[in-house]
Amino acid sequence: MKPEPQKITASQIEELYTFTRKHFVEHYDLQTELVDHLSMAIEKQWETQPQLSFEKALQIEFKKFGVFGFMEVVEERQKALSKKYSKLIWRHFIDFFKLPKIILTLTAIIAAFFILRTGVVNEIWFGVIILVLFVIALVELIITSRKRIKAQKTGRKKWMFEEMLTTAGMGTNFSFVPFYFFQSIFLHTDDLSIAPLWMVGLLSFLFVGLLLVMYIMQVEIPKKAHQYLLETYPEYELVASN
Amino acid sequence: MYIYLRILGMSTSSLYRGSLTTILLKLLEEHGKMYGYEITQKVKELTQGDLVIKEGALYPSLHKLEASGFLTVRAQRVDNRIRKYYEITPQGKEEKTSRLAELDEFLANMQRIINPKLSY
Repeated sequence: MKPEPQKITASQIEELYTFTRKHFVEHYDLQTELVDHLSMAIEKQWETQPQLSFEKALQIEFKKFGVFGFMEVVEERQKALSKKYSKLIWRHFIDFFKLPKIILTLTAIIAAFFILRTGVVNEIWFGVIILVLFVIALVELIITSRKRIKAQKTGRKKWMFEEMLTTAGMGTNFSFVPFYFFQSIFLHTDDLSIAPLWMVGLLSFLFVGLLLVMYIMQVEIPKKAHQYLLETYPEYELVASN
Repeated sequence: MYIYLRILGMSTSSLYRGSLTTILLKLLEEHGKMYGYEITQKVKELTQGDLVIKEGALYPSLHKLEASGFLTVRAQRVDNRIRKYYEITPQGKEEKTSRLAELDEFLANMQRIINPKLSY
């Protein structure tokens, strides 16, 4: 009778997780997939060469990933998830242009139009908006980095998509900066009441559109983060004990 | 399936790289849910070792297809670890059909160029 081929032990699984971390895979989702792959491949090697050591077998498998190791896999994973995230934002955005939300959107655009037309909103206003948003971004940054430090201390697992969902929105706080330049450079006037109507219309649309994107990225999506994470990571619940 | 892989296996690597997603979609449609390592083994088996899918190319392709909505993932605890399975979606099946048609046409054209007599 042939002896049972060797199997990867639980402690070797842990070693494999450490190995992926050492090779710049910091997110648990990708680590898990690679650990399973390496385990399978090593066990396969043991079927024909039972005397091969775990370390040697691992080196043979790792070489198959090429000179850059896991780097390419990580980069491409990031790209794939960014694409997924952009699609998610777009889906939410389109929702604001469908009934019933479109009523709200149109009202906001029209309101913005009339407010801008009065000419009350000048450079100073834009400056104030930018400053306020900047402060918000700063506060958010402090909160997230604190959370991150805490997560690191407790050994909580990091998920790539989760990180995207919770931090990507911060950048939108700076999206009003171009408005400031648009106004001072292209309009050559801070009095929108004498600007061409189409320009004020466009500005109102952009203004509301940006607000919507900010709202979607900073409020709507993070609120539904759990659902989206489950969709992306079916293993999320398997390791929910983290 | 086998014939595609044979031809692709014999062609240059860049030719085959462009067809990796087509291979993945086709394999997943035929075999239902599969995990990464299983896919590399299946391709090796089908082509009798002629074609080896590089791990560094496989996972990026799988992740891209998943992000495009052509595949879905499912996780399962196997032995002492978690395994991720990929499955084709209806959208992925459509994509596979159009990609396969493209590939068929490409192969037919290549045949005509390489072996013109056969086309008469």
